[in-house]
Amino acid sequence: MSDLDDFKATYFDECSELLTELEEQFAAIEEGERGADRLNAVFRAIHSIKGGAGAFGFSALVGFAHAYETLLDYVRDGRIELTDDVVHLCIRANDIVADHVNAAQTGEGLSADYGAEEKARFDALARGETAGEGENGEDMGGEIVEDFDIDFTPVMVNLDAPMAAGEAPVEDVFEAAPMTVAEGQWEIRFTPHRALYARANDPLLLFRELAALGTMSVRAIMGDVPPLSDFEPFAVYCSWEITLIAPGLSESDIREVFEFVDGDCDIVIAQAGMVPGFADLVPDIAEPAAMAAEVDAEPDLSSLLALTEEEVAAPQEPVTPPAAFAPEPKAAPAGSQDKFEEAPAISFAALADEIKPPAPAAKPEAAPVAAAKAPSSNGDSEEGGGRSVGVQSIRVDLDKVDRVVNMVGELVITQSMLTQQMDETLRARYTELVRGLEVLAQTTRGLQDSVMAIRAQPVKSVFSRMPRLVRELASKTSKKIKLETIGENTEIDKTVIEQLSDPLTHMIRNSADHGIESPEKRLAAGKPETGTIRLSAEQAGGNILIIVEDDGAGINRERVLGLARDKGIVAPDITPTDEQIDQLIFAPGFSTAEAVSDISGRGVGMDVVLSNIKKIGGSVHVRSWTGKGCRMTLRLPLTLAVLDVMLVKVGGGPYVVPLSSIVETMQCSRASFERVPSGGRVLQVRGEYVQVIDLAQRFELTSQQNPDDQFVVLCEAEGNQKVALVVDDIIGQQQVVIKSLEENFESVDGIAGGTILGDGNVALIVDVQGLRTTHLHQNAA
Amino acid sequence: MTLRVLTVDDSRTILAMLHHTLSNAGFEVLQAEDGKQGLDMLRAETVDVVITDINMPVMDGIEFIKNVRATGQHNSLPILILTTETSQDKRDQGKAAGGTGWIVKPFDPEKLISVIHRVVH
Repeated sequence: MSDLDDFKATYFDECSELLTELEEQFAAIEEGERGADRLNAVFRAIHSIKGGAGAFGFSALVGFAHAYETLLDYVRDGRIELTDDVVHLCIRANDIVADHVNAAQTGEGLSADYGAEEKARFDALARGETAGEGENGEDMGGEIVEDFDIDFTPVMVNLDAPMAAGEAPVEDVFEAAPMTVAEGQWEIRFTPHRALYARANDPLLLFRELAALGTMSVRAIMGDVPPLSDFEPFAVYCSWEITLIAPGLSESDIREVFEFVDGDCDIVIAQAGMVPGFADLVPDIAEPAAMAAEVDAEPDLSSLLALTEEEVAAPQEPVTPPAAFAPEPKAAPAGSQDKFEEAPAISFAALADEIKPPAPAAKPEAAPVAAAKAPSSNGDSEEGGGRSVGVQSIRVDLDKVDRVVNMVGELVITQSMLTQQMDETLRARYTELVRGLEVLAQTTRGLQDSVMAIRAQPVKSVFSRMPRLVRELASKTSKKIKLETIGENTEIDKTVIEQLSDPLTHMIRNSADHGIESPEKRLAAGKPETGTIRLSAEQAGGNILIIVEDDGAGINRERVLGLARDKGIVAPDITPTDEQIDQLIFAPGFSTAEAVSDISGRGVGMDVVLSNIKKIGGSVHVRSWTGKGCRMTLRLPLTLAVLDVMLVKVGGGPYVVPLSSIVETMQCSRASFERVPSGGRVLQVRGEYVQVIDLAQRFELTSQQNPDDQFVVLCEAEGNQKVALVVDDIIGQQQVVIKSLEENFESVDGIAGGTILGDGNVALIVDVQGLRTTHLHQNAA
Repeated sequence: MTLRVLTVDDSRTILAMLHHTLSNAGFEVLQAEDGKQGLDMLRAETVDVVITDINMPVMDGIEFIKNVRATGQHNSLPILILTTETSQDKRDQGKAAGGTGWIVKPFDPEKLISVIHRVVH
């Protein structure tokens, strides 16, 4: 059922927002901010999750959320003190709620007793404070659904709804039924209080509903009805006696009609003949029919006046029903009944000197609808109908945005092709055309930025999943770890964000598992007992940097190198630099976990991080300080779609180097490269030795350039490490649209992706960081 | 005459479901996301019945009902409280503030429509 699926999708979207909100609120609560605002926000979030879950019959989620919500409610009321223990219990509860939501979404069941332990603690806390008021299953007039009906489908809206709106069921309600006074004859005495009117209830509506249950006759018992000039619309001038004949009708059916006015009226309901002093009414159809005819006018007044003349009013005595007929008190907290008696906080003074039609529900004329505010009634479930404040927003399928992104990508390519086609002679001849192309280039750029901004999202959505991970890792490893997040509002393209979750999870696991030491070791090393993992995001030029830092022990280089040599990743005769050793943790098949723990082991290591990040055109760099900690930096493109590049030629074919990593370009002779003992070559640039990577050689091509006339593109890899790429020729700068190599072919070492040039040729994008790393392995091999 | 319903709830899911249920039943639906928005809307629009949640940011349902009644303009406007609250306490608060009746979440479409008819002329 697509409607249901739509609602569910909306619900799960909302859940993930609410879970993120919970993480944020509790981060502040943990810091000691325990104001009412925070608690209310937390309560509302759980409340909303529960509300939707009930609608879809996710009963396990409802059950847990309900217990948790009760606890939060007590905390809000101050009945339970928000101690650190309670805060931690709540944080654990949030995780369980998240698991329940996830289980509901994926359809994977959780064990039946999942969260039972926490639930028991909620109950214990509640009991400790409020004896026996934990679960509230009191009778609520038969409308409460405590055990949520699993089969409940929220969209079983039959289009021939119970009745078309605005069409009161009056006509057929009063149809005469064959009169057989038998069992099922009820007598009701009903006296409204003033409060009943104040809450916009109306006896007429109650009678209408009663009439729908059977054959009804009503008699008004007049008190002192004042002359019209003194008539107060909300005053109580009369009570009613009703006889209702309906075989099989139970008392609770009748009580349900009066459910909303319970406490706002005196009511006696009894089998015929049981109410003392009840007028012996033979149901008379004419009377109700008369009422019916008047329904749309001012029935109360007209029937009231008609009756006044015809009937001798019975002296109005206060009705004190015998105990047997006293309204059953609900299982409500003592004193709640008194609340109804309080005069509502409404001033009738304004009405006192105005003569108004006495019908309490006189309808004001419907004002013409302001077009801007009229909600569309096309059943669009996302319609936020008449939002009056805040930023206007619409929800668009990502597919639609992706289509636009792709079109814009193609436009960029076409535009760069046109620019390429303009050689000098054409430029000189068609100045107007050149200017037009320049404007087109600008507009295209602007269009592209705008489209990318649409897909950009704060990294918060990924970051918010990490606190829980850290909590779980800390408890599994018996370490004390706190997570700090910085810059979570930094925006990245949604497609990049989706790819971030796994690598981040691995990196944080790595920090918790290998970086942060046990509390004992930390204390021994003179560090605070609690380790810190800092997760930050910032924008740096055309890139986003995501940094995972810890203040742990740093990388154990000796062990890493030993393992790398054992696994043949590094040749025995090579002594890599510290920095190169650190990078080894990303080498394929490298995992330093001595025993495969279920935390970061599982047979996969950090090489997964590297390949995931490379897949989205990013790079990873690690830096470690022994005994002080470790920093891993992810450098990600702001968007996956477009890249500013330098177009170069290698072995006769076009290659592109991302402009963001280029420091400078120069011409030089191969003779100026110097050999180092490891077999690599270096180039001296302004007193600094830079590793040389000959792209032609690296990609097994034949250079078509005179060796004395080579070009070098000096690039900066992670960690300010420079690398000199040797190319045959430099063609120029341009923008390209990145096409994934993995999706269209397969992953290739040293290549970050491909692109289609303006002339239709395919050029491969050089992966500078990857080349440095693989270069090291190659020398080792 | 089409009946107009104002629904006030901070949950997008519930708003979407109310919108669907009510518009399918032939009502015209206005929606607000918190009590304050609901009040603003009532200043500009005339409606026949209001359905409001209790727990909302900015202005909760109880305050919203009090404010609606306090204007003196809407003494006979039925206000239904949409709530999962099974505690009598919240319901009493809603009533004390001037609420006409209540609907328990999760609502059954049939029940929702019949409750609306119960309080609207």
